[in-house]
Amino acid sequence: MLISLNWLKSGLETNGISDEELVKLIGARLVEVEGVIDQTHKYDKIYAVQVISEEPIEGTHLHLCKIDDGGAASDVERDENGYVQVMCGAPNVHKDMLAAWVAPGAIVPSTYNTDEPFKIGMRKMLGKYDSYGMMGGADELDFGDDHSGIVELDPSWAKPGQPIAEVFRNLDDKILDIENKSLTHRPDTFGILGFRREVAGILGQKHISPDWYLEPEQNFKNDDKVKLEIETDPELCPRYTAIVFEPIAENVNPYLDYDATLLARAGMRPINPIVDATNIMMLAFGQPLHAFDYDKFVKVGGSKTPKIIVRAAKEGETLELLDGTTVELNTDDIVITSNDVPVALAGAMGGASTAIDEKTKRVILESATFSLYNLRKTQMAHGIFSEAITRFTKGQPAGQTKAVALRFAKKAGKYLKPLALFDTQTSEPKPLKIELSLSQINSLLGTDFSGDTVKYILENVEFKVKVEGDELAVIVPFWRTDIHIPEDIIEEVGRLSGFDNIAPVLPLHATADPNPLFALKTQIRNHLSARGANEVLTYSFVHGDLMAKVGQKPENSYKIINSISPELQHIRQSIVPSLLDKSYGNLRAGHEKFALYEMNQVYPKNLGVDNDKVPVGSHQLGFVFIDQAGQSNYYIAKKYLASLLESFGIKFELATFEANAVNTYYEPKRSAAVKVGDQTIGFIGEIQGKVLRGFKLPRGVAAFELNLADLLIDEQSVGARDYRVSNYPSVSRDLTITVAPEVEYASIESKIRAVLDGFIYKLRPTSIYQAEGVSTKNLSFHLEFAAPDKTLTKAEISDIMDKLESIK
Amino acid sequence: MATLQELKNELKKLGAEYAKIKDLPADQRADFGKQLNIKKQQLNAEIAAAEAAAEQEDVAPLDISAPCDINGQMPEFLTADFGSKHPLMTELDRVIAIYQSMGFDIAESVQLDDEYHMFDSLNFAKGHPARDGYDTFRTEEGFIPPAHTSTMQNRVLKANAYKLAEGKAIAVAVPGRVYRNEDVDATHEHTFYQCEGVYVSEDCTLGNMLAILREFFEKYYGQKLNIKTQPGYFPFTEPSLEFLIEKPKSLGGKGDGWLEMLGCGMIHPNVLKNAGIDPTKYQGFAWGGGIDRLIMLRYQLNDIRYLESAKLDFLKEFAC
Repeated sequence: MLISLNWLKSGLETNGISDEELVKLIGARLVEVEGVIDQTHKYDKIYAVQVISEEPIEGTHLHLCKIDDGGAASDVERDENGYVQVMCGAPNVHKDMLAAWVAPGAIVPSTYNTDEPFKIGMRKMLGKYDSYGMMGGADELDFGDDHSGIVELDPSWAKPGQPIAEVFRNLDDKILDIENKSLTHRPDTFGILGFRREVAGILGQKHISPDWYLEPEQNFKNDDKVKLEIETDPELCPRYTAIVFEPIAENVNPYLDYDATLLARAGMRPINPIVDATNIMMLAFGQPLHAFDYDKFVKVGGSKTPKIIVRAAKEGETLELLDGTTVELNTDDIVITSNDVPVALAGAMGGASTAIDEKTKRVILESATFSLYNLRKTQMAHGIFSEAITRFTKGQPAGQTKAVALRFAKKAGKYLKPLALFDTQTSEPKPLKIELSLSQINSLLGTDFSGDTVKYILENVEFKVKVEGDELAVIVPFWRTDIHIPEDIIEEVGRLSGFDNIAPVLPLHATADPNPLFALKTQIRNHLSARGANEVLTYSFVHGDLMAKVGQKPENSYKIINSISPELQHIRQSIVPSLLDKSYGNLRAGHEKFALYEMNQVYPKNLGVDNDKVPVGSHQLGFVFIDQAGQSNYYIAKKYLASLLESFGIKFELATFEANAVNTYYEPKRSAAVKVGDQTIGFIGEIQGKVLRGFKLPRGVAAFELNLADLLIDEQSVGARDYRVSNYPSVSRDLTITVAPEVEYASIESKIRAVLDGFIYKLRPTSIYQAEGVSTKNLSFHLEFAAPDKTLTKAEISDIMDKLESIK
Repeated sequence: MATLQELKNELKKLGAEYAKIKDLPADQRADFGKQLNIKKQQLNAEIAAAEAAAEQEDVAPLDISAPCDINGQMPEFLTADFGSKHPLMTELDRVIAIYQSMGFDIAESVQLDDEYHMFDSLNFAKGHPARDGYDTFRTEEGFIPPAHTSTMQNRVLKANAYKLAEGKAIAVAVPGRVYRNEDVDATHEHTFYQCEGVYVSEDCTLGNMLAILREFFEKYYGQKLNIKTQPGYFPFTEPSLEFLIEKPKSLGGKGDGWLEMLGCGMIHPNVLKNAGIDPTKYQGFAWGGGIDRLIMLRYQLNDIRYLESAKLDFLKEFAC
């Protein structure tokens, strides 16, 4: 939302406070000001001038003009009468008119605040005519899109030589660019009146809304001959006020007027006096208005007199809008109908069939409020983001429809005469009263306000407050549709007086215990990264193709219905596929050998839902090891896995792989289940060749994944490693055991350990060797062992070695 | 059953059939083409199955319990020089450590939730436009990858309500991954991290909240900081504020700029009520802010997309 600072400040006491400070206060106590567009000098050196003479130049569309600038401009050549020569190409230039002259040295306003501001000077035209500056059209002056001619100024407003910033009172303006989002709940601030009221409150000034706003009075008598029926569903349309007008003057203003400049400053464009008046009402009071052509309205509905029915649209209904598009309506849309025939999409846009045109005679003006919930859906369904619907979707208060309609009647009085007013609400509802205590306010904010201070703060913005000791009774004005409970009042007190004035006081606190899961993750991170692995983060959402590549069933994955792209359509079932997916790019980038890991949550559907019926997730560690060389990386992955688990003192075993719905990418013959006791805590293995080809990855990529919650439980079963050191000399021996190729390594290692049980020992495998053409393999170890309580004798050592060497 | 080679030969022959389409009468072409396509799909499926079976036979089992391959080298860890922790996780660990030192328990946010926790329990009226502001993703079942860590407030309050009965405060920080349906560019990600804070006691105040937040950021940046607020709007807090800090020296601040760090406010009575906490006896405050932004500022990253890119060129910059 764009707000003219000058318009805002009119009616406020802002002497002694700089614009900068004011903007800062607004930012601190009302809403974020995203930017301030400084237009203070936008209309410098632009003057009202009288066209003294105008001669068409033959063969061109140009006119050679003499203008009277009242001697305002410098750096120009003047004729003997003091007039300045300027060429003008506009068809509407004529003698004696008052025009807006952009004098040499001025920036053309439409280029002001752009990357290429255009400074005008003297140009020689047609090779012989000196032309000083230019007479501006509405588009060049940045008051609209009209390029058909130059603007004409009202001689009763302007005189030659007067700067136009002065003609239009306050064009030396600053425009506040307001972040709407944090005012979602404040419909009242979407008009200057409400915004100004807030600023008054912030400045500690008492704001008084005009009487006509607080207690609207109809100053004309309803013409009994004018009939209009209104039928509404109060859920969809809490209030509908309508005035029937008849025209008293042509809907044209030959002169550029002040309203056009206000509209321009709010980023809107002037159209014609009646439409402009509705838009000014909206900017001033936040109440969008809409005008229907009375005769068309009656004709469309086929009734004798107009019958307005506001209802939900029906499935299959269509409506042609003002902008020429035809929309298919849905049951969330609200439509204004003429005797049940839709003529407008409520709150969003009028229909083509009842549009005002140059032949329009009578007009029906609508001032209404609609369900913001429905309009929000309308906005999304039809992609309409007009100034009007932006306001309606905040929930405009029903209390102001009549006041603003009547204000419009006054504003448009030159063109339209009101005949009769109709309103679905005949009496004003009782205002909301909220009771709370002073101590409630102070205890929530951490303040020490007196009752009088609170009363003062709230009454500045037109709450009515009664203080009795600690008790407060607050009457809420009708436009504060956001206030419902005592906390809402407390917010107002804190905000208007400045939250930043509240003293920060630290409550006493102890330190908290670490969260075991986070502590575990930190340990894992430290462990793996210290061994050259790289931690990554990848999206929780994956492509259906990715699941297909790794053999996971899409049915086991929650599917996003409004995903940004197909790549992000499914919630992943495990982490390893994401890591495989990210590996190719890294290989291509020249990383030949690397390990990636990620710890994150996964939500395969097979985990089901919890007691709240929310999907159960699992905290998972995924790890992959890639080597461009294409050899098996199973054993290096296993080394990472083993060292990690051993660092936690977890005793684990690798057992036969167990296929499930998620771990579909492991090659079962070259993979294993990671077990702690009977419990499977994860998997390790080589990735299937077909999967790797899908990812363009070399052969032999290995991975493991662990369920982190299982590691937490098992952290208690410490004791996998023996940290003892013997005080007696230890024996160092190499051992080679020859067995058939199919004999499992683990069976041999456990036999060695069985022999060494009771000793303090270290066991390190050194090689597994099978010579060509030989049908056995050699398992070699390096051993160091010692007794805990004595020095081993030669005989004892030899006895141990005999036992070890006889292992099969 | 046909061998793989036979199947492949058949596919080749089928390919040649396609050339005949153009010689057929026009009204027969479509049907003929359709038949060919069906045959081709069948063949391709059979080939894929045969290939998979062949591969399965080819694969030699390995000794899962061994330390290395037969005749293979003993595996070695990668050099530690290029190992790295993800900067976002490192930062999250710091954030967590600070909150713990300030007495906050830590709970991780979920990554898939429902309408109740994401909105209803947080006092968002049904169908309220404020829900749209969160640009949430939804699954076919209506579940929501949460758009804010506030999705955990109801759970955290319920799980810790017993502390109030013991006369203690509830103080929990909730880091987690959140998601918003928005287009990705250098400063926007659809996936990012937030940290929520929740504090409830009999008498805590907005002044306490401001002090806690200042304390957190002063510890985080290791210096004294000026703070300020802006009014905000969240259905689950009342009053609602945006919290800003003066740009710290370590980020090149010279006392001239402000950084928006998070949204905060006093917990709305309905939120307490929904968690079974009596709002007439207890009051609290809560806040939530992005972690990614902290990283972007700290490391002066120019593109947020790196964080979820898993690019080693980027990650190795953070080698331990």
